[in-house]
Amino acid sequence: MKKIRSVVVVGGGTAGWITAGRIAALQKKRLGKSQNATDKAVQVLLVESANKPPIGVGEGTWPTMRNTLRQLDIRESDFIKHCDATFKQGAKFSGWVTGKQDDYYYHPLVLPQDFSQVDIAPYWLWQKQQQQTESFSKAVCFQEYLCEQNQAPKNIRTPEYAGIANYAYHLNSEKFSRFLQQHCMEHLDVKHLVGDVTGVQSQPNGDIESLVISGQEAPLAGDLFIDCTGFSSILLGKHFNVPLTSCEDVLFADTALATRVNYDSSDAPIATHTNATAQNAGWIWDIGLQTRRGIGYVYSSKHSSEEAALAELLRYTGGQVNEADVRKIPINSGYRQTFWKNNCVAVGLSAGFIEPLEASALVLVELSASMIAEQFPATRELMDIVAKRFNDTFSYRWQRIVDFLKLHYVLTKRQDTAFWKDNQDMTSVPESLQELLQLWRYHSPRDYDFTSNNEVFPAASWQYVLFGMGFEADYSHTYNPDSYSSNMANQAMMKNKGMVDRCVAQLPKHRELIDKIHQYGLQSI
Amino acid sequence: MQKLVALHAQEHKHFKIKTEAVESVGSHERMIPVVMSEFIKLSVQYPIVFTKNIETGQFVLVALMGFEERENLFWKNDEWDAIYVPLNVTRQPFFIGADAQTKQHLICIDIASPCISMEEGESIYQQDGSESEYMNTIRNRLSELFRGEQEAAGFIDILGKLDLLVPLSLDISFANESHHQVQGVYTIDEEKLQALDKATIGELHAAQYLRPIYTMINSLSHIYGLIQRKNQRLENA
Repeated sequence: MKKIRSVVVVGGGTAGWITAGRIAALQKKRLGKSQNATDKAVQVLLVESANKPPIGVGEGTWPTMRNTLRQLDIRESDFIKHCDATFKQGAKFSGWVTGKQDDYYYHPLVLPQDFSQVDIAPYWLWQKQQQQTESFSKAVCFQEYLCEQNQAPKNIRTPEYAGIANYAYHLNSEKFSRFLQQHCMEHLDVKHLVGDVTGVQSQPNGDIESLVISGQEAPLAGDLFIDCTGFSSILLGKHFNVPLTSCEDVLFADTALATRVNYDSSDAPIATHTNATAQNAGWIWDIGLQTRRGIGYVYSSKHSSEEAALAELLRYTGGQVNEADVRKIPINSGYRQTFWKNNCVAVGLSAGFIEPLEASALVLVELSASMIAEQFPATRELMDIVAKRFNDTFSYRWQRIVDFLKLHYVLTKRQDTAFWKDNQDMTSVPESLQELLQLWRYHSPRDYDFTSNNEVFPAASWQYVLFGMGFEADYSHTYNPDSYSSNMANQAMMKNKGMVDRCVAQLPKHRELIDKIHQYGLQSI
Repeated sequence: MQKLVALHAQEHKHFKIKTEAVESVGSHERMIPVVMSEFIKLSVQYPIVFTKNIETGQFVLVALMGFEERENLFWKNDEWDAIYVPLNVTRQPFFIGADAQTKQHLICIDIASPCISMEEGESIYQQDGSESEYMNTIRNRLSELFRGEQEAAGFIDILGKLDLLVPLSLDISFANESHHQVQGVYTIDEEKLQALDKATIGELHAAQYLRPIYTMINSLSHIYGLIQRKNQRLENA
């Protein structure tokens, strides 16, 4: 039985360092400082190319990042200070339904009020039919009010990683990579090597025996190889020839034009949500960091020329950006048919990529790193079992993400451009999503609609987008507005109103909290 | 509203302080910032704990006076019902400020304070313009507080680094069957303190931190005293 003792991570972007860090940190926690710890420990080495700067993808995270950072023994104050990070409380989708001026909805990170006890959606829908209610996200959740006022999800007395409102982060991924690198090397004993992979040496069973690294005489041997080489997917894609399952027939965006805009002044307000604003052939992301905004247009090149897309992007930024500051990134939407093959597993862009509409890139890295660390195969024999589970889990997760992103498009009522009209063509909608949409005409999304415990988006997220997009449903044949449930729902909505008043009155401005964290730091308790 | 101005021999030469009114300044304070040099006197009656500064989130030392917002259970029949009154009350209405230009520390007075009178009380200045004996006492109190703040910062820093601070979670039932959850108050984790190695304990001892640590831990028993005061207040209400 061959024990798995050495892990080689190839690629030093956020995917590489998070994965290396999670494996090393868990090892450290399990083995402690006892004398035989070194004999049992798994060595983690990260090799990265000197000349390939990591792609700055994934500036938005999920709330899961708080746990990931905590697992790595990182202080939240340090992370905020060194990664240009800010607090993210959800996404605001503008112009997705009708494209008109007043067309927007939120997907906040706080669940609908009392979600575990009562589903407010049927009651809200009934109220809406009586023409007497506000938007779903406003009626059931207070977080939109904080976002609209640029208010932070916590205050300076709230301990690290705790929130008064649920939150994730916006971050500068280049700074984040460097920050993770330093932490992993100084505190988690991850070894680091700089060089390019110029060759792969295989074992008879197809496993990778070792990597030939430029500038190194001896090949780099290992038991498990983790491919975090980005789009080039050197090991899983190029060496093992694992093909991509394309999603371009479902999600049309295939190109991004990315840029950045500085704030007018050092005390300019910082948005605390991702702005996702619909355009003629896609949408523009707008993410507020501490020192600048990251902005980009994700569009379908089948529906727009680059010139037209650039013009839309420049219009959005209000003339604050030159053409020269715009970077073009091709989006090859899809994911690998297999993520773990032999003794090689891909994490990050090498495993797949999809438009950043719901910030799925980093969360998939976290979920992958977490599963590899938690299910770390003790022996080579066990690796095939773990690999099979890993592949099943992540194929499922990618499908769910594709479905969820498509939900944002398929329900649009826009008829003004071919992009939006083509998105309503049911032949572009996966069967799994079509089935869900049929179910939801008769009941609101609930946890029972999802059969796996590997679900990426909770039922609440589906509700926010479904009702935010103005989905037409009729629950009247199974629902009475004078029932016990609607009484509960009414109470929850009243409670939410109270939360709005309390939170808006108490929470500081986002910029003010960030400044205070720089000055004083957050306490760990 | 406070209105702080730098104390000035000419401008404030007729000012007097009604000392019996000074204590009323703290009559509605649930927590009063304290310094380690007054721990022994405080520990006779008050629970001494940490709380977070509302503006900075940094830990500060306070004596606990009550449970609810604006509740000081030591304020009884319009006077302070305790053997010792914290320095941060008795130094009123004086403060330490810094000169905007020179950054030098100087004594300020809250000219909006109800303790100030032109007719009765302790004079700040004597006839010849020099400071009175009373003002000398105030000066000593202020410098004790000033030194104490630096000292506390070092103390809290070490406790934080050793991970010895812990939220104090208390669920209290009063005589009228109302419940109260004490929040935002922190103390020293006794278990973690016990688990420290000899060298670290030695360092704490050398820095003269062991005594304040145990004073704080023991002072928590005064929470029962506070509950008793609260119950009496509820009975009399």
